[in-house]
Amino acid sequence: MKLKKTLMSVLVPLASVILAFVIGAIIIAALGGSPVQAVAYLFQGAFGTPNNFASTLVKATPLIFTGLCACFAYRCGVFNLGGEGQFIMGSIATCWVATTWGIEGPGAMVLCLLCGIIAGGIWGAIPGILKITRGLNEMIVSIMLNYVATLFMGLLYTSVLRDGNVPQTAAVPDATQLQRIVPSLRVTWGIVIALAVAAVVQYFLFSTSKGFQLRAVGLNMTASRFNGFSVKKYILFSFVVSGAIAGLGGSVELLGTQYRLISGYAVGYGFDGVAMALIAQLNPVATVIVAYFFAVLRTGANTMQAGTGVPTSVIDIIQALVIVLAVAGFALVKLPQIRQWLAGRGGKKTAEKKEEK
Amino acid sequence: MEEILRMEHITKQFGSVYANRDINLEVRRGEVHTLLGENGAGKSTLMNVLFGLYQPTAGQIYLNGKPVKITSPAEAVKLGIGMVHQHFMLVEAMTVFENIILGDKRTKGVFIDRDARRKEITELADRYGLEVELDKPITEIAVGAQQRVEILKALYRGAELLVLDEPTAALTDLEVEGLFEIIEKLKKENKSVIFISHKMREVLKISDRITVLRAGQTVCTVERSETDGAKLANLMMGRELAPSHYEKIEQPGEPVMTLDHVSYHKASKHSGLNDISLSIGRGEIVGIAGVDGNGQSQLAQIVTGVLTPDEGEADLKGSKVAKFTPNGFIVENVAHIPEDRNKMGLIGNMSVQDNIVLKSTEEPRFSDGHGAHLKKKAIHEYALSMQEKYDIRCESVEQETRNLSGGNQQKVILARELEGNPDLLVAVHPTRGLDIGATRFVHDSMIDARGKGCGVLLISADFDEVLEISDRIIVMFEGQIMGVYPGKNPPIEEISLAMAGK
Amino acid sequence: MDIGELILSTVRMATPILLVALAELYSERAGLVNIGLDGIMSFGALAGFMVCFITGSPFLGILAGAMGGILINMIYAYCTISLCAEQIVYGMAINIFAPAVASFIYRIYFGVSSTLAQDTLMKSIAIPYLKDIPFLGKLLFDQTPMVYFAYLMVVFTAIFFNKTKKGLNYKAVGEYPKAAETLGINVIRQKYVACMICGALAGIGGAYLTTCYVNTYSDGVVAGRGFIALSAVIFGRWSSGGVLLACLLFGFCDALQLRLQIMNTSTPYQLFQMIPYVCTLVALAAFGIKKAGPKANGKPYMREER
Repeated sequence: MKLKKTLMSVLVPLASVILAFVIGAIIIAALGGSPVQAVAYLFQGAFGTPNNFASTLVKATPLIFTGLCACFAYRCGVFNLGGEGQFIMGSIATCWVATTWGIEGPGAMVLCLLCGIIAGGIWGAIPGILKITRGLNEMIVSIMLNYVATLFMGLLYTSVLRDGNVPQTAAVPDATQLQRIVPSLRVTWGIVIALAVAAVVQYFLFSTSKGFQLRAVGLNMTASRFNGFSVKKYILFSFVVSGAIAGLGGSVELLGTQYRLISGYAVGYGFDGVAMALIAQLNPVATVIVAYFFAVLRTGANTMQAGTGVPTSVIDIIQALVIVLAVAGFALVKLPQIRQWLAGRGGKKTAEKKEEK
Repeated sequence: MEEILRMEHITKQFGSVYANRDINLEVRRGEVHTLLGENGAGKSTLMNVLFGLYQPTAGQIYLNGKPVKITSPAEAVKLGIGMVHQHFMLVEAMTVFENIILGDKRTKGVFIDRDARRKEITELADRYGLEVELDKPITEIAVGAQQRVEILKALYRGAELLVLDEPTAALTDLEVEGLFEIIEKLKKENKSVIFISHKMREVLKISDRITVLRAGQTVCTVERSETDGAKLANLMMGRELAPSHYEKIEQPGEPVMTLDHVSYHKASKHSGLNDISLSIGRGEIVGIAGVDGNGQSQLAQIVTGVLTPDEGEADLKGSKVAKFTPNGFIVENVAHIPEDRNKMGLIGNMSVQDNIVLKSTEEPRFSDGHGAHLKKKAIHEYALSMQEKYDIRCESVEQETRNLSGGNQQKVILARELEGNPDLLVAVHPTRGLDIGATRFVHDSMIDARGKGCGVLLISADFDEVLEISDRIIVMFEGQIMGVYPGKNPPIEEISLAMAGK
Repeated sequence: MDIGELILSTVRMATPILLVALAELYSERAGLVNIGLDGIMSFGALAGFMVCFITGSPFLGILAGAMGGILINMIYAYCTISLCAEQIVYGMAINIFAPAVASFIYRIYFGVSSTLAQDTLMKSIAIPYLKDIPFLGKLLFDQTPMVYFAYLMVVFTAIFFNKTKKGLNYKAVGEYPKAAETLGINVIRQKYVACMICGALAGIGGAYLTTCYVNTYSDGVVAGRGFIALSAVIFGRWSSGGVLLACLLFGFCDALQLRLQIMNTSTPYQLFQMIPYVCTLVALAAFGIKKAGPKANGKPYMREER
């Protein structure tokens, strides 16, 4: 029973990926390209050389953070669509500290990361506070805050923190940047931080009492209240932590990859995070895997375009198809008729002992 | 009398469970035909099949002698079948009038012709003595009136055969009499009624013929004139049940919980409390009797800390309650079997073992460092021991609780709530929807808890249950206490009147 | 500041939000919370733009937007109604899927060239007599037909839900689907119909942006208007009149920020662009406490559920 459930939660996303690739291949063929060649270029671009492999990890890092951000909040039953805004606020705080406080070095780097965490946490707290005090829909609030954060960032790089003629901020000083793990490869310690955060989230949710209670709140708020858990506290807590994870992600991205705020920074990261968390069925470790997969598609896409002329936006379609198919697939296997059929196929009289009226 | 409905060999399966198995039923024109059976005997399922809500796995339905296939409620309505469900199918945000004309297909035109429809409805209501206030929203009328709306709805759609599913469950005695008068009028107009109940007294009073169901199967159909209560009870249960009378305690110990002039949303008759004072002693079971929706839920939630009263004080184990939070009460060893086990008691998507240790994961036996690291093995082993002790039937303790039957779900809650030897146990409808075996188990557990010095507050809409195990009986009506009666040799007549507000 | 100009652009800015908010109203009245409006709009915007660009007719563009919206929303409909997928989750999936498809089609058709493709904007049509009302006449009755359409829809919706039999049945599906089913209302069909209406209106709202408001398509042209519409429904308490007022408020914020941008070129424009989003938040925080929504909102409906 349990094994079967685990099997399904791997099979469904896998089938979605395959189906999405098939549809992608049809599109590529329709555009006059060769699907096989395209996929070959795709994988070559993603892991063909050590440098490509490193680039994929670099691309995966921010996605892991926003994925974990969405995952954590939804485990508590609240939908945080504001990952992008929290990510940006973390980046802004980091950029501000790194470029205007006149400090440099590893100490400054740690301070920057802390400020990123705090800024993201505060930005994440707003929808949480409005939800528990005013009963507001957290999705709308967090989306609105995304736009505010993006515009605020624009304000900074076009005027307040603008450096030179181009609308962008100054770069983070070399000594404050996240260092590379291997000097010859682009990948920094940021990926290690991301994996560490994933491990901590996994441990917290599944091996601590507070994480257990947080999940209980996410699954049934009324019963949690009756059983003595403070629902409001957990909701606020999950929003703050979720925002802090995204904020740390923004900080890592700025210190390790981008170094400066510029137009187009972090666009789409928030929704990508939600998509990944959903495909991963809110499992932190699975979120990391899905994020890596998304990163493979993205780094590979450029090589594919250069090699075969197939536009990179085909990859966006494949990505979007994966989420649409996976979510439909999860719903499908939960339908009573399908569950019965699956149970019947398993040869066991399972599952359907529904509640006697 | 000619036959109006015949159901032959009806079988309905949910997964591997048979809710109905080879059931036969025949109803004549102008008769009141009762379906009698325990909870879970398959009465509601059979009627949902008749009404097109479920499709039978096998079997055939004949209406007026012709075979029919009822694929949807719309089809059933068209065939002249009307149903009053146990849980009323009324849209609360709409008025009585709107509810009656909803889904109307008989009249043409795009717009609602209010005047013509009103006239029609009023005429119909007068004919059958169904008094309703057409312009009131559903939320503002009493349960008895809601039921009249349901009957009127069915008649408005031209029902010839009317199914009443447990119609008396939520009514006061007085309202039941009103309902029976309406049923008599229906009979006079040559309409047929299928009456579903497990209350013997009512069944004997109103039925012409009775079909007994047990465990999803037909036992037999008998004429009212040829049977009596004892015979029917035996048919229904399938075995002689030794009347189990628990011993009644007359001298309780010191009080564990005392309410002193407590009020909550005073103005609301159905969901408020008005000046309630009571006390629950150690080692006694205090039963709250009364029709559902007279403030019992609110009372239960105040004595478990979920709600905070507007006025008055509460004393828990000798000290005044300063702040009402569920956690504060749990820390003081108050256990709660809430009224809705799926909504309030269990995390349905979590496993049996997780639900058993739900409140106690921070204890040293289940985790290190005050919850910093869960001892999963210890939790699993503890759950296994509870599974055995409380006879929880599940495939494994890792199974999700929402897939368990109602009785087993309740046992999971019992295992969680009773294991800590609570000082106060608040049990709301603890046996609702359970079969006889599970009910007995729950009652025994409560008596056991009483024996260990726990004060028990039992709230139940099932009067028989309250009579069966309470040491003291308190009747509630519209948020007020109507009277307190001894559990030993209780004055049943007097209590019934009190429940109706007299 | 010219008050007349401000009112004129308020009305124009409120129109797309209004259309989409009505779309959501139709969806939620049938018990379906659709947060995928942004996605549907972006697809509608592209469909509208392309057809308008190719045929030169903004009206055909609007029609294409409606069709595109229905097409996308049918995916949502199938998954949430027939497969009982979680509505919020699936709405989110649509928000990710539809813009990706739109952007892909745009790139394939127009290439990645730097020259901006432009279509023809819909022209205003003045309504005879009414336009001669002093002051207001020119502001309210000299607009594009889509503006009139949106406001007529408000009136139509109010009549539909309050005065007609079909409207009453429709509402019952969102309040208590099982009760509706027992009264012979086909709940599943009604929900699909609701999704078609929702898709069409949201698609039109998207197409409005590219055929009546700006004459180009770009990724992110929708800019969160779907979510603003979503809050307009909550803010407007699920009634068409309330939704209209909420949309006018949000439209006013949009109009105001544009005016302010033009007037204060020295202040960074982003500060003004924040106004609509901040206003939405403030309006919701002040008045938007959720209480009056349809009762069965967001819940999947399974007929044989026990």
